[in-house]
Amino acid sequence: MSELSNLYQQTILRHNKSPYHYGRPETSDVVLEAYNPLCGDKYKIYLDVVEDRIDKAYFFGYGCAISKASTSVLVQRLEGKKLSAILELCQHFLESLVRENADIAEDEELAAFSAARQFPGRLKCASLSWDSLIEYLEISEE
Amino acid sequence: MITTKLPDIRTDFPLLCQTSGDLAPIAYLDNAATTQKPQVVIDAMHHFYLHNNANVHRGVYGLAVAATQAYEAVRDKVCRFLNAADRREIVFTKGTTESINLVAQSLGDEVLKPGDEVLITAMEHHSNLIPWQMLCKRIGARLRVIPMDDRGALKLENLSDLLNDRTRILAMVHISNSLGTINPVKKIIQKAREKGILVLVDGAQSVAHLPVDVQDLDCDFFVCSGHKLFGPTGVGVLYGKKSWLERMQPYQYGGEMIKTVSFERSEFADLPHKFEAGTPNIAGVVGLGAAIDYIETIGRPAICYYLANLAEYALHQLREIDGLTIVGNAPSRSCIFSFTMEGIHPHDVATILDQQGVAVRAGHHCTEPVMDFFGIPGTIRASFALYNIKDEVDRLVAGLREAQHIFS
Repeated sequence: MSELSNLYQQTILRHNKSPYHYGRPETSDVVLEAYNPLCGDKYKIYLDVVEDRIDKAYFFGYGCAISKASTSVLVQRLEGKKLSAILELCQHFLESLVRENADIAEDEELAAFSAARQFPGRLKCASLSWDSLIEYLEISEE
Repeated sequence: MITTKLPDIRTDFPLLCQTSGDLAPIAYLDNAATTQKPQVVIDAMHHFYLHNNANVHRGVYGLAVAATQAYEAVRDKVCRFLNAADRREIVFTKGTTESINLVAQSLGDEVLKPGDEVLITAMEHHSNLIPWQMLCKRIGARLRVIPMDDRGALKLENLSDLLNDRTRILAMVHISNSLGTINPVKKIIQKAREKGILVLVDGAQSVAHLPVDVQDLDCDFFVCSGHKLFGPTGVGVLYGKKSWLERMQPYQYGGEMIKTVSFERSEFADLPHKFEAGTPNIAGVVGLGAAIDYIETIGRPAICYYLANLAEYALHQLREIDGLTIVGNAPSRSCIFSFTMEGIHPHDVATILDQQGVAVRAGHHCTEPVMDFFGIPGTIRASFALYNIKDEVDRLVAGLREAQHIFS
């Protein structure tokens, strides 16, 4: 059970139970969809973008504890940040799901998801919303 | 006596006896997805490749004759297993999905005209839905659905309206893969027959658990897969009444399925070869034959009896868990159990169970309309086969309680 308690540790259980900015704002500049057709997990991420920064971020949807918590910690880290810095964070986070990443290791909450490395079947749950955001950021950059 | 005897067969299945370190062998409860293979099936395929491998229906040398005999002997076996009237009514495919697609594509144009109707049920697997949906779209026909109630049982009160003058084809699942419901297919087929409607029965989940007699059912087509029957993947069966198979166009064209070929025209082979273009899955068919022998040695009535008892035990144990809701409570049910756990996503439950050596499925089980009907994105599904034992039910229950503990 040690690997397991490692995946379902307090950070993930807490964010699953009380996700950050969980709701649908009346208006938003950008609405992203993070959808995994294999399992049906689906989130909408609502962003207000002011110049090159994200001003407000919310999310809403349905999915497992891992994907919900991972979206919650993502949304929590977006507000006030530059798009370029967010892209970098996303890339670091995705790398941390495959191998040790020094930047992510410093952030206890994000590092919690590194446990998913032991659960290859659940990696997509951890990366789902981050993948969608990267896609948006890369398109915006072009 | 039957109930105590069956668990001994676990040793016939090498995968179920594997252990790693101190861990108990896997409690494999995903039999609705695929079953494990007994040693006799593995040996039969191994033996074929070691001693009998050649292409079928071609060579005149001894090895090719032996391969052809081994392949065709399984056709006889399947014919007896399903009680078909004629061995030419048995077509080997790569599985249930291909069998259904074959019928939908080869028969569709023959019997369906714009404005006609194809009837399915509310609990079809995507494989018995999309082929008909696409066919209806192509022809301009209408796809209609026999509804179900909130227990997951078909609502048959208005069946005569659904089986109307426009209805040409009825395609229905025998046992629902996501709800476990056993549909009263024989009764429904009788009604359809009165109106001259063609019937296809999807037997993917039923063939390993219930004795199937296609003549008694009086269906026009019956489809199933080898791998849910303790046989290998990549081999399946289409049973079709000869009169229909003869009328139908080939599904694929190529070698093996012809009589004569020139640049101007081709004449197709007789049944069943007309539907078996290309080199078939010969070793797979041989493995399927061994699987059928295996099942017949135990006997389907004994399997049926054993599983009914196990299902009753599982149902009772699952109902004891607070916060667990069984999805699919039809009066007539098989040993497939779908359920949800309050406040815990099915994938989280499945991961927690996996860590305790219990393999279940989580998701929509290729039946999205069923999930929509119940207003849920997915379920946890535990499905049992003849080698499962009560101890595995107990391990499932303990794992579910552990999930509740983690998420409390």
